[in-house]
Amino acid sequence: MFARNKIDNTRVLSSMKAKHQRYEALVKAFHADIFRYAYWLVKDRSVAEDIVQETFLRAWRSLDALNDEKAAKGWLITILRRENARRFERKQLELVDIDDVFIHDDTQQAEGDIKERELHRLLGTLSIEYREPLILQLLFGFSGEEIATQLDLNKNTVMTRLFRARNQLKEALEKQNQHRGQANG
Amino acid sequence: MDELEFRRRIYANPNTTDSDLVAAANADEKKRAFWQEQKALDNKLKQTLKVDVPEDLASKLIWQQSADEFSRYKKRSRWYVAIAASVAFAVGISFTMLQQQSISLGDHALAHMQYVDVEESHSLLPVDLNMVNAKLASFGASFDTMIDGVEVANYCHLSTVQSLHLIVDTPQGKMSVFVVPSRDNVKVPSEFEDDSFHGESFKMQQANIIVVGNKGSDLSTMKDAVANRIQFSA
Repeated sequence: MFARNKIDNTRVLSSMKAKHQRYEALVKAFHADIFRYAYWLVKDRSVAEDIVQETFLRAWRSLDALNDEKAAKGWLITILRRENARRFERKQLELVDIDDVFIHDDTQQAEGDIKERELHRLLGTLSIEYREPLILQLLFGFSGEEIATQLDLNKNTVMTRLFRARNQLKEALEKQNQHRGQANG
Repeated sequence: MDELEFRRRIYANPNTTDSDLVAAANADEKKRAFWQEQKALDNKLKQTLKVDVPEDLASKLIWQQSADEFSRYKKRSRWYVAIAASVAFAVGISFTMLQQQSISLGDHALAHMQYVDVEESHSLLPVDLNMVNAKLASFGASFDTMIDGVEVANYCHLSTVQSLHLIVDTPQGKMSVFVVPSRDNVKVPSEFEDDSFHGESFKMQQANIIVVGNKGSDLSTMKDAVANRIQFSA
């Protein structure tokens, strides 16, 4: 009986060890892009960090449910989106949608070509329904179908949103260039 | 392919490799320039998306997992301890109850015989009829006349049963008489023995009388003496 217990214990220990290794691999492979995704969802570094921590905690607790390593990325994104939605339910009253109160900052406009800071700001002004598919495409290299599955949308809707997202960015950039042209001229 | 359709599809995915788009771009320099422009913008967007990740994030994530596991392990072990305690408690209770159900006093009586020679009266009063009767009164019994040779009359416990232990000096050596109140959960064997002593018991209205003497001694005289003298109040 004791011998069997010992074998069971080592088996439990080695399966725990395997689970740890799996989790650490998951963290190393995805934490950076998952953080960036969270950041672009909420546009706040510390909130993003909180969500990422919650996400990985849940991932750890249900790691056994992840059968296919290839699905890990999508699985983490799904958990993260759920965590983000939960945060909204909790804090609905405290939050103001930044899109509605975005304050136009023109102190940076005199700084030459398309600056990263400007793009950063413009990305932030895209509404979430355009921004999210674009981030999935650019950050994770998802195809239209994959984005559609992830966001539970029709593929045509996704393609339209991607088109509109880039279109809006382009127009905004052109408008700024005109602006700057006028200001400089 | 018209301009709008081309732009729509490039906007949707600048990194597409669709052959009809490639063909359209090859045929039209403006389209090619638009595509290049979009690819360049996409690369800039990718750069922009790559915001700095907090340096310690990965270690935090691994650490919080260990902390979570530890707190769960603690909870789990508390749970095990609770179960183990309950089991131990239940075993203890049932063991005690089982024991109570079958107390056999023979062995206890024999054990008391080991120190009969050194036993002294707990009371300073002389061992006489009054004193013995005073003690028997708690069992609702009394002797009408004294038994010869009673040296010691002490309460003692045979297992958990309070009894009166009389040590009597007889021509056949020292004998013990135990007066044990009848209780449902107490069994008194009618005969028992070990290497040096043997005992016999008989039942009266409210008590069992156990007589123990040296091996080979005749206990019947003492049994009769007790049986004839003891009386129980109603």
